[in-house]
Amino acid sequence: MTAANMSEPLHAGTAPSTYISRGWWGLSVACLVAVIGLLFSIFAFVIARGLPALKPSIFVTTTHGIAGGLANAIVGTILLVVIGLVLVIIVGLGTAVWTVEFAPKWGKRVIRFMVDVLAGVPSIVVGYFLYVALVQEAGWGFSLIAGSLALAIFMLPYVVRAADVALTNVPRTMREGAVALGARPAMVVASIDFPYALPGILTGLLVASGIGLGETAPLIYTAGWSNYMPTLAPTHSPVGYLTYVVWTYISQPFEESHQLAYAAAALLMIFVFLTNLLARSFVEYRLNRGRTSR
Amino acid sequence: MAAANMAVGSGDTAKAVSPAALQRIKAQLALRILTGFAALVSFAIIFLMLFFLIAYAYPAIRFNGLQFLTSPIWNIGNQYGSGVTTRNGFSGPPGASFGALVFIFGSVLSAVCTMVVAVPLSIMVALSLVYRVPRQFRPLTNALVELMAGIPSVVYGLWGLVVLVPWIAGAFGPWVTGHLGFIPFLGGSSGSGNGLLASVFILSLMVIPIMVATTRDVILAQSNAIFEASMALGSSSWQAMTRAVLPSVRAGVVASVLLAFGRAIGETMAVLMVCGAAINTFPQNIFSPINTIAAVIVSQLESALTDSTGMAQRSLAEIAVVLFLITLLINIIARSIMRGADRREGRGAA
Amino acid sequence: MRKTLALAIAALLLASGAGRALAATNLLETGSTLLYPLMNLWVADYQKDHGDVQITTQGTGSGTGISQAIAGVAQIGASDAYLPDGQMKSNPMLNIPLAISAQQVNYNVPGISSSEHINLSGPVLAAIYSGDIKYWDDSKIKDINKDLASKLPHQEIVPVHRADGSGDTFLFSQYLSKSTPSWQSGPGYGTTISWPSVGSAVGATGNPGMVQTCQNTKGCVAYIGVSFLNQTEKAGLGYAALQNKDGKFVLPTGATISAAASATDKATPGDERISMIFAQGENSYPIINYEYAIVNPKQPDATKAAELKKFLGWALTSGQSEKYLGAVHFLPLPASVVKLSQAQVNKIQ
Repeated sequence: MTAANMSEPLHAGTAPSTYISRGWWGLSVACLVAVIGLLFSIFAFVIARGLPALKPSIFVTTTHGIAGGLANAIVGTILLVVIGLVLVIIVGLGTAVWTVEFAPKWGKRVIRFMVDVLAGVPSIVVGYFLYVALVQEAGWGFSLIAGSLALAIFMLPYVVRAADVALTNVPRTMREGAVALGARPAMVVASIDFPYALPGILTGLLVASGIGLGETAPLIYTAGWSNYMPTLAPTHSPVGYLTYVVWTYISQPFEESHQLAYAAAALLMIFVFLTNLLARSFVEYRLNRGRTSR
Repeated sequence: MAAANMAVGSGDTAKAVSPAALQRIKAQLALRILTGFAALVSFAIIFLMLFFLIAYAYPAIRFNGLQFLTSPIWNIGNQYGSGVTTRNGFSGPPGASFGALVFIFGSVLSAVCTMVVAVPLSIMVALSLVYRVPRQFRPLTNALVELMAGIPSVVYGLWGLVVLVPWIAGAFGPWVTGHLGFIPFLGGSSGSGNGLLASVFILSLMVIPIMVATTRDVILAQSNAIFEASMALGSSSWQAMTRAVLPSVRAGVVASVLLAFGRAIGETMAVLMVCGAAINTFPQNIFSPINTIAAVIVSQLESALTDSTGMAQRSLAEIAVVLFLITLLINIIARSIMRGADRREGRGAA
Repeated sequence: MRKTLALAIAALLLASGAGRALAATNLLETGSTLLYPLMNLWVADYQKDHGDVQITTQGTGSGTGISQAIAGVAQIGASDAYLPDGQMKSNPMLNIPLAISAQQVNYNVPGISSSEHINLSGPVLAAIYSGDIKYWDDSKIKDINKDLASKLPHQEIVPVHRADGSGDTFLFSQYLSKSTPSWQSGPGYGTTISWPSVGSAVGATGNPGMVQTCQNTKGCVAYIGVSFLNQTEKAGLGYAALQNKDGKFVLPTGATISAAASATDKATPGDERISMIFAQGENSYPIINYEYAIVNPKQPDATKAAELKKFLGWALTSGQSEKYLGAVHFLPLPASVVKLSQAQVNKIQ
C-alpha cells in the first residue's frame, strides 16, 4: 500500500472537518517527533557518556570492586548468550520443524499458542523459578548453566516463531516438487526447507540474541556475579555480565563506577545495534534473492 | 553378511525393503521423534514452571489464605523474636502476615496508566509514520523504531535514575504541584522523583516502539480501498483514518495493546530503579512511591531468605505465581482476539 | 567467514581458559553496603601480596550477605546485623566482628547549614517514620532544637528507608525499639521490618541509593552508614545529633563512637552476637555496631577454607590499621574482641 497521496480530498475547502483533520495530523507528527526525539536522546545520552569511557584498557581488565574494566562482563555476556543460543537452536528449530512437517492441525495450534504464551512470561518469574529449582534445590549455585538456561527460555519463543514463519513460507511448489520426486520429510527439510528458511531463521536468532543481551532480572538469580573471567565450569561458578554492571555500578557513589556503568551501557547498545543491523541485512538479502528467481 | 530383508506393508502391498530404504525410514523416525521431543519441551516449559512454583508456594498459600490478595501489609515477622505463628497448619515467624495488595495494585496501576498514555501516542506515531513521513525516510524511521525497541531495560532504568528522577524531583514535580495542584492526584508533595510518574514515563517509552511497529505493520497490510472509499464519501483524511481504517485493524491493534500491557506489568529492572519501593502504603498522587510485583520480588528476595522458617520466600513465590497467572490470562485473551479476527476475515485457522 | 568464526571461538576459549588457569581460589564476599567500601580497600591491598586467591566483593545488603553465606554461595557474608537465635539454631554460623562502625541519620533540610546539626531523638524519629510528625517545624522537633527552632522550615518530611534486606535497617530499627516502647511493640527491629504506612515514604536500595534519594528529595530524612560520610557531605546532606541513653545529643565522632564501644565491648560474649545500640555513657553515640563476617564454620572446600582463614586473619591484624579504617570512619576492634574474633576464625575448617 502506498501512502502516496494522503492529503485532503479534492473537494477540500474550508470544511471544519478539514481543519480538525489537519490539526490532528499536526499533533501526530508532533508526537512522532517528540517520541523519536526522546528515545534518540536517551540513546545519545548513553553513548555520549559511555564512548569516552570505552578506553582499550576496559577490554582487558576485569571489574574489581568499584571500577576496573569490563573484560569479564563482556566475555560472560557473550558466553551466556552463545550457550543460550545453542540450547535454543536445538530445541527451537526442532520444535519449528516438528510443527511445520509432522504436526497434525491441532498440534500446530497448540504449539504456536504455547510458544506465544511463553513469550509473555515476565523475566523475573523465569529467573526466580530457576533460582529455586537449580541454584538452591539442585544445589548448582550461581552457574553458567542456570544463566544460559534462563536466557534460553527467554529467547525460545522468538526463535521458534521466526523459524516457524520461515519454514512455512518456503514455496509450496518447491516442496511439492521434492515430494513428488520421492523425497522423504527429512530430505525435504534438509535440502529444500533450510536453504530457503535460513535467512529467516538467522534473523530470528539475531533478534533473540538482541533480547538476551539486554536481560538482567533472570540473570541476577541464576548467573550471579563474578569479578573474574568466567571459567568454563558449568556449575558452582558465577558469571559476570554487562547488564549487571549497568544496574549496580550506577548507584555506587564513585565517579569511576559511573564511568564503568556508562561504558557497559554504551557497549550493550552497540551490540544491540549491530545485531539489529545484521538482522535487517539478512532480510534485505532474502528479499533480493527472492526477486532474482532461481 | 546377508542383508536383512524385511517385509513392509501388508497383504498385496507387501514388498521387501532394501537396507538403504531401512536407513531412510530410521532417519525419518529419528527426525520425527527428536523434533517431537523438542516440541514437547517447548510445550511443557510453561507447565513445568507454573506447577513447580505453585507446589513451592503451597505452604504460603495455605498460611496466607485469602487475605494475601486483600491485605496491604507485608510483614515478614519478627526475625529476632521467639516462637512461630501458625495458620492452617503452616508456620512462619512470629507476627508474620503477608499481604500483597500494595504490589498487585502497583503493578496493575502502573501498567494501566502506561497504556492510557502509550496507546494514543503509539497510534498517532504509527499513523504519522505511515502517512506523513516521506518515502525516502521510511527505511530510516523503521530502523529507528526497531532500534528503540531493542534498548535494554537497564539502560532505560539508568536514564531514569540519572535524568528523569532528579528532573521530576527538582523541576517538574514542584511546578505541577504548585500550578496544577487543584487537580486530584496532582497536588500534595512532589516527593523524591521516584514513584508512579517516573515508572509510567519509563514504561511508556519502553512499550511505545513495540506498539508502533505492530500498528504500522497492521495498517500497511490493510488495503487502500477502505481509506479511499471513506474519502470518496467525503470524510477528511483524519476521519477516514480513525473511523474507517483503524476499526478495520482493530483486532491487531487490540492484541498488540494487550501484549504491551503484559510487557509493562512484567517489567522488572527499569521499574525497580525508579519506583520508590513503597511498602505498606498506597500512592496519594502521581509522585508517590509505588511498588510492583516484579520489583518487590527482586528487592525482597534476599531478606526473605533470612527467614529461617522459609515462609517469606514461599510468599514471594506465591506472588510470582499471581503475576504469572495475570500475564497468562492477558496472553490468552490477546491470542484469542487475534484468532477470532483471523477467522472473521477468512484467513483460516492459525 | 569461517576462519574469523574459528578465530573468535578460539579467542573466547582462550580467555575462559586463562580465566580458569588464573582462578586458583575464588572467594566471594557479599552483603552489607556499609562494610563494602572497607572490604574494597582491604581486598585491593590483600590481592597485591596474595595473588593466588581472587576475592570478589559485592555490596548487596546484609540480608543478601546472610542468606548467601548460609546457602554456601558466598564464603563471607558481610552483615551489620548478627544472626537471630532462630537462624543460629537451624544454621550455626560464625558471626565474626571485623571492625566497629556507626550509623548517621542524615537529612536534606533547606535553610540549615552544614555546620549546624539538628537534634533528633529515638521517639521523635519513631514518630516521623510512623507518620505522626509530618513537617520539619513540628513542635516536637522544635522542642529538642531550641536554638535552631526558628530556622526549621515548614517542609514536609520524607522518611527514606531501605527497600532491601539491610543491616542498616536492623541498626536503625533497634535504636528506635530500644528508645521507644511503642516502636518495640509495633514494627520492632530486623533486617526487614514492616514499615508503618506513610504515604510519602520512599524505599532506596543500598547505602548509595539512600544518599542519592536523599540528595534528590527536599525534606528527606534517611539512615546512612558512616562509611558514606564523605559522600553525604558532598551531596549536601546534614547529619543529626542523636539522643543517647543518658539523654544527651551527640554527633558521630571518633570519641563518641569509642565511648559507646568501651561501654559494651567487655560484655561481648564468645559468639560475639551483641548489640551495641543505645549504650550507656554521657558521651556515647547511640548507633554503633560490629561489622560482622557471617561465615560457615564447615566449609565444603578445604583450600577455600584455608584462604578464607588467611584473609580474615589479615583483616583482624593488618586490616585494623588507620590507613583503611580512617578512610571509612570506622574504629578498630579493641584487643579483647580481636582475640575473640580470631578464636572464631580458627573454628573454620
